Amino acid sequence: MKNPFGVISGKVFEIIQESPLIKTLRIRPEKPISFKTGQFVELSVPGIGEGPFAPSSSHFISDTMDITIMKTGFVTGHIHKIEVGDRVGIRGPYGHGYPIDKFKNKDIVIMGGGVGLAPTRSLFLTLLDEIDNYKSITFLAGAKTPNDFIYKDAISKWREVDKVIFLRTVDSIPEGQKWNENTGVVTTLLEKVKIDPKDNPSVVCGPPIMMKFGTFALKDYGFTDENIYLSMEKKMYCGFGECRHCVIGKYYACKDGPVFTYEMIKNEEAIWE
Amino acid sequence: MIIRKEDLFLFFNRCISEKIDNYEEILLPKKNNQKDEKQFYFTKYNSDENIEYDLESFRTIDPIKTLFYLSRENVSSTSLHSKKRIVAGIKACDLKALNILDKALINDDFVDPAYKKLRDNTLIISSDCNRITDSCHCNLVGGKPYSESNYDINLSKVNNNNYYYIVVGSKKGEKFLNTMKEHVAVNKAPQDVFSLVEENRKDILEKLEKQNKKYYHTENFDELKNSEEKLWIENSDACVGCGACTNICPTCYCFILNDETEAEKFVKVRSYDSCQYHGYARVAGDNSPRPKMHQRFRNRYLCKFSYFNSNFDTIGCVGCGRCIDACPAEIDFREVVKKLS
Ligand SMILES: Cc1cc2nc3c(=O)[nH]c(=O)nc-3n(C[C@H](O)[C@H](O)[C@H](O)COP(=O)(O)OP(=O)(O)OC[C@H]3O[C@@H](n4cnc5c(N)ncnc54)[C@H](O)[C@@H]3O)c2cc1C
Ligand code: SF4
Ligand code: SF4
Ligand code: FES
Repeated sequence: MKNPFGVISGKVFEIIQESPLIKTLRIRPEKPISFKTGQFVELSVPGIGEGPFAPSSSHFISDTMDITIMKTGFVTGHIHKIEVGDRVGIRGPYGHGYPIDKFKNKDIVIMGGGVGLAPTRSLFLTLLDEIDNYKSITFLAGAKTPNDFIYKDAISKWREVDKVIFLRTVDSIPEGQKWNENTGVVTTLLEKVKIDPKDNPSVVCGPPIMMKFGTFALKDYGFTDENIYLSMEKKMYCGFGECRHCVIGKYYACKDGPVFTYEMIKNEEAIWE
Repeated sequence: MIIRKEDLFLFFNRCISEKIDNYEEILLPKKNNQKDEKQFYFTKYNSDENIEYDLESFRTIDPIKTLFYLSRENVSSTSLHSKKRIVAGIKACDLKALNILDKALINDDFVDPAYKKLRDNTLIISSDCNRITDSCHCNLVGGKPYSESNYDINLSKVNNNNYYYIVVGSKKGEKFLNTMKEHVAVNKAPQDVFSLVEENRKDILEKLEKQNKKYYHTENFDELKNSEEKLWIENSDACVGCGACTNICPTCYCFILNDETEAEKFVKVRSYDSCQYHGYARVAGDNSPRPKMHQRFRNRYLCKFSYFNSNFDTIGCVGCGRCIDACPAEIDFREVVKKLS
């Protein structure tokens, strides 16, 4: 009998400080872990606790896994104290990721904000690995200030790829920080997008407020409810439909999601909180 | 088949002392205190003659989950030892609850190994209710005070007689009955026995109906969802959010998972949680889908009557009434359902 609580041990082999509050841990698990982009894992700090995180690397890589983590509380605080060589545990992957088969030959719009850029980077890198299958990828990325942007070093490389448009915006520019791209909330970037929303998919991932207004903006732009994919962040413990913490009406965010179409969940209660 | 009460307990006794069929433990309801008739709880059988076991009253104070889904349990170990045991005197409401837990914890997506082990190693002997307590209301939620399925053996006490009418409900139960026959007297049931059982069942059901008449509520539980927020605020006013109701509910199984890792092993421990607590659904940045008490109060009702229905094709209340007895604010679950549906 397979124990659903079973943990695979892994070693952190590199740590990237992405922004003042966000780090990417690069982990080598004892045995490869394959996942589908948009799925998540439970990452444990031995003796401290665990939390749900979406890998931020391409799903074509299974011998290592990148996880990008924002420090917001107890477990993430301890995760930020991890050093290269330390041991962590991984359970999963869990849930349903992005249905990238349905994205073939489409113009794809991805909207990500804050640490929500982590799962969307995984999607983006996964799509890049087979870029011939897709018509175009438009990435709309937001952060509070220029210094809060993560994956800074990779941007120029991504922008060189044909078929990729990568736009960034910040909410504000504090004194002393430099910025020559867009200013305004992430939804303002949609004004610069020129694709036909009919039959094309869009993806949104970010803090609760961005999920809500991002979804509404994509709807206004013309994307249909079936074509707006949301990655839902709910409290989770087990990750596979047992503990009930993540219940959204008739769904479990962990098992039936975390990626849902807006069509699926729009009539459930309190989805934005 | 019928068995005399003395013979049943004689068999229990021999079962343990002679390790018949490798049974190591028998759990059954015991009267707590002669004065307080409400107090029955599951305890390990021992042959001390002064202990009064009771298979025929109403449900115990401890919900059946405490014997299968422990309040705190290491779920990482794969070789979880569990004794081969018998749990006797399970009432219909608890058996129904166990059946719901089976769906929730052993299904196509995953199997909770700790629960499965305890479940597999236990023989279930259910028994009809011969009395009811004030909070019993199985009849309001589609239940009856006796079990018709999902047991290995069911016992119905035959009125004024000191014997039980035995019904076998599974292969495991059949094997058990055969073993029992080898050790004690199990006799063919007299012709009229089933009508006596039926009469008794009818009598208890009537008592339940009488007791709960004033709580009759709709069976279209979807109406709960549409009730005004104002009513939820009013009805939850006395609630202090202690979580006693969910802890004692035989169908509530929400848990938190702790990491108690040592040396080279990852150790995960699950323990009961309650949707009545603020921390239950709180996520990073102190966001919560149910920050207010009345929203969490409402969640329990919707979970029982709506979410369970979509997850398991059955409502999540079995009408045991334990949450009514446990609530320090004296909130009556039946009454709230009636008022809000
Ligand atoms: C599917 C999914 C994917 C996620 N992916 C990422 C990611 O890639 N990067 C990232 O930085 N964050 C991600 N999160 C959020 C991350 O899980 C929480 O920020 C983290 O669990 C907070 O833990 P904490 O102990 O530091 O916070 P505290 O506020 O101290 O939390 C206290 C307790 O609540 C739990 N908890 C708090 N917030 C959440 C939450 N949102 N979800 C589940 N449990 C929570 C913690 O596990 C802990 O037990 C994701 C969440 C989900 C549901
Ligand atoms: S909700 Fe109350 S009456 Fe219903 S099963 Fe749970 S404890 Fe028993
Ligand atoms: S037992 Fe009563 S007071 Fe405690 S949380 Fe439940 S309803 Fe509220
Ligand atoms: S995280 Fe436990 S049920 Fe979804």
